[in-house]
Amino acid sequence: MEASSLVIGGGVAGMAAAVSLADSGVQVHLVEREPFIGGRVSLFSCKATDRCATCGVCLLPPMLSKTGTSRQLSLLTRSTLVGLTRRNGGFRAELLRRPRYVDPDRCTSCGVCLGVCPTGAIQKPFGEMAPSAYFIDEGKCLHFKGEGCVLCQERCPARAVAFDNGSKLELDVGAIIVATGFEPFEAGEKGSLGYGRYPKVLTGPDLESMFRREGALKLPGGKQPKDIAFIQCVGSRDESRGSGYCSQVCCKYAIRFARLIKHQDPEAKVTIFYIDLQTAGKGFAEFFEECQGVIRFARGVPVEVNEAPGDRLRVRVEDFAQGRQLEEVFDLVVLSTGITPRKDSWGLAKVLGINLDEYGFFESRDGIETNVEGVFLAGTCQGPRDIPGSIAHGLAAAERAVPFLGKVRREARR
Amino acid sequence: MEAKTGVFLCDCGRSLKNIDFTLLRGRVARLPGVVFIDLRSDLCLKEGLEALSAAVALQREGIDRVVIAACSPLARGETLRNALEEAGLAPNLIAWANLREQCSWAHDGDVTPKALSLIEMALGKARLLQPLKKAQIPVEQKVLIIGGGFSGLKAALELSRLGMGATLVEKGPQLGGRLREIESLYAGQASPGAMVSSLAQCALESGIEALTSAEVIGVEGTAGDFRVEIERDGERLRRTFGAIILAPGYEAEALPGAELKSKNIIPSSDFFKVLSQEQPPTRLAFILDVSDEHSRLPTLSALNNALMAKERLGSEVYVFAKNLKVDTEGAEKLYREARDKGVVFLKFEGKPRVVCDDGRVRIEARDVLLGEEVALDCDLLVMEEKALPAAKLASTLNLGTDPRGFYQEVNPHLFPIFSGRKGVYLVGSCRADLDFDRAAMDAAGAALEAYKLLSQGEVEVDRVRVDPDKCRVCLTCVRVCPHGAIGVVHAKPEKESARIYDLACDACGMCVAICPAKAIGYEGYDDDQILAEIEAVGA
Repeated sequence: MEASSLVIGGGVAGMAAAVSLADSGVQVHLVEREPFIGGRVSLFSCKATDRCATCGVCLLPPMLSKTGTSRQLSLLTRSTLVGLTRRNGGFRAELLRRPRYVDPDRCTSCGVCLGVCPTGAIQKPFGEMAPSAYFIDEGKCLHFKGEGCVLCQERCPARAVAFDNGSKLELDVGAIIVATGFEPFEAGEKGSLGYGRYPKVLTGPDLESMFRREGALKLPGGKQPKDIAFIQCVGSRDESRGSGYCSQVCCKYAIRFARLIKHQDPEAKVTIFYIDLQTAGKGFAEFFEECQGVIRFARGVPVEVNEAPGDRLRVRVEDFAQGRQLEEVFDLVVLSTGITPRKDSWGLAKVLGINLDEYGFFESRDGIETNVEGVFLAGTCQGPRDIPGSIAHGLAAAERAVPFLGKVRREARR
Repeated sequence: MEAKTGVFLCDCGRSLKNIDFTLLRGRVARLPGVVFIDLRSDLCLKEGLEALSAAVALQREGIDRVVIAACSPLARGETLRNALEEAGLAPNLIAWANLREQCSWAHDGDVTPKALSLIEMALGKARLLQPLKKAQIPVEQKVLIIGGGFSGLKAALELSRLGMGATLVEKGPQLGGRLREIESLYAGQASPGAMVSSLAQCALESGIEALTSAEVIGVEGTAGDFRVEIERDGERLRRTFGAIILAPGYEAEALPGAELKSKNIIPSSDFFKVLSQEQPPTRLAFILDVSDEHSRLPTLSALNNALMAKERLGSEVYVFAKNLKVDTEGAEKLYREARDKGVVFLKFEGKPRVVCDDGRVRIEARDVLLGEEVALDCDLLVMEEKALPAAKLASTLNLGTDPRGFYQEVNPHLFPIFSGRKGVYLVGSCRADLDFDRAAMDAAGAALEAYKLLSQGEVEVDRVRVDPDKCRVCLTCVRVCPHGAIGVVHAKPEKESARIYDLACDACGMCVAICPAKAIGYEGYDDDQILAEIEAVGA
């Protein structure tokens, strides 16, 4: 028996681990909850001006195509791990597979269904998305509203559409790599900063999707913001909220976005409010020096954001030295929200039998190995890290799994 | 011998309406060299793949080349290539005509003539394709690790777990590197000294060879076959290795820019001596962000040392810093603990001044929170250390360095451990300032890459090859190859010629473009193949 392995989570860490294992000749099952792999990074935007900002978002497409076409790798999308038992030194994993309604092995992405679907329920994979197969959103599809629509099924030349039910799948695997990623901090939890109350208070992830969609800073309703503030450490370095750690990514994304905003609109003024700037990292020092003259860096963390006349926002900052509060007025406030553990981590930890650490990330002895032999961690499910850090972590987890798989194989032969 | 090409057309479930496939099929069938033609709607599906492999496997009409006229090879190419390979066709004997993304989808109105042109181009190329051979390349299944510190030892242990032999070359008399002298870290972690000793012990027990007081002085050859010269106690050893892991760490500049020499100013690596002093300093200060504002290692060491001073010596402790680099697992926690235990952190701007006055050290800085100048007298000042590059083998190995002089990765984001040369990997502080966890990730990643390189089975060979009869041995290709993959050999007893080593070659094509004698070919992109494509459309 060849011991295969299971990678849970198709973000950059999971893909790096899965491809690396597949390259080493291991059969890999990559399990992804969503209909497409790519994870958080697929929601992020390139931050280059006339020069690359080395944010790493462009690493995604080549990783996707490599993951989608690797011969040793099977993609199990819309699937979750629901049960696990030990078997022959390895595991028997029980997966719940929700239907995509379009068989990825048969869909040729020809686009015929897109033309006939009356509600836009059938969704197209764009760019390098993997698997490069369509998918039906039950929420919009008339078939699931009891209207009996089967237009796409009738017209699909590859007979790839089937309104089937979910299924269970059991797999025997030797090792498991967990790479389920993170959730951005919910800015609404810090009520005083006005997120959700004022439309011009955004978060870092909001900015990512705006730039991904529009390629520029565009607010609904038109007026181009001229005075922009970034507030760092929202939901990071905050012991009172159980997140007494640095998220490692927010300083860098804020500085990269600030430079991009300045580049697109040289008239704009950008201020970054911070505690300590995290500028370590290959090549980042040079990038930061370049930004110093263009972006205003202000020490201090704002405590409150309120409305100001003229559709603007008033930001209050503590001035420790004078024991008073300073106020400044901006057109747009961006909260640099950090990395937090996924809220559903506990459920998966229970299935796997692994522990959570004091913050809610999966616990590990050395960053990779867990208390369950054969279960390894990769990426931000273990703690905050950036894109390259997550890729490196994925490669390292794969390296740990290889000798373990050898052991499982030897035991099975006995 | 005239090539016999099988053409497989696919109309993607009859969805490519602006191409007349019946007409196209008729026209293509009459083209020279076409011995078999099939029109399908499901080429990439199970049924289509079966028909495709059956036609090729049965050598229908003697098919020895295939043209796929369907969607982009990026969409389903891999599936089709795999099916053809299983049917016995070398996977590079396929030429592609992209009738979907680059033809049908790209235009409105009838595009049958363009589709025909694309197929004619593919046929022109297919005729000239030559099968690529696969072969097992003999490699030395042993890895050289340069540097016996934390990263090097970690890499050695990972390799031994993977069952791969390794030799550690350490220039110092003992393994363990920089950490060996550090007795303890704060927060109950095992002593770094003890940790590296036990790493070294494990490495030796698992059969890793360690050469101490030794230095690599020369490297020749390429991936799979690096011939290395090592100097040890005046003696020269010659060894062969399949891959090289560089883990030489960094050089520390102890007191960067310090004009003042005083016994009361020490570099942070000497701090552990203070812990055992009979008369501990009553007031102690650390300075960060003076020589290098963008490194995380000084913050980590200062947080640890400040806490130890507080706990073991009971001194008053001050830390001067611009920005504490807490973007490392556990660092924020240490920072908070230090403040809770009474360590005072002063954030300064500009440059602090240090004045020595018999036995006391005075630090003057502009405190940004107070907005005013502060001065502090202390008994001992611990200065941060600046990490300097230790990229000594860069020119020997033909590797790039970054603006600061550290080894340059091919792509610090996607391939952090890959150097520009196959089989040479960069690990730990020799490429960037990395803490233990990040260095350990590097070590694991590099070990797996070396293992994959040296234990792979058959690989495609001669994709890029030199015609020894045309080669004038001008060495242009040798100089231009960024991967160090080209050498000069006696291809024939009477004639020297350049030779490309398959394992080291990245198939970038630079040598092909630059060879003045046109002696280097690149299968699939040879001049005559590309010209044939152009000629096919009547250019």
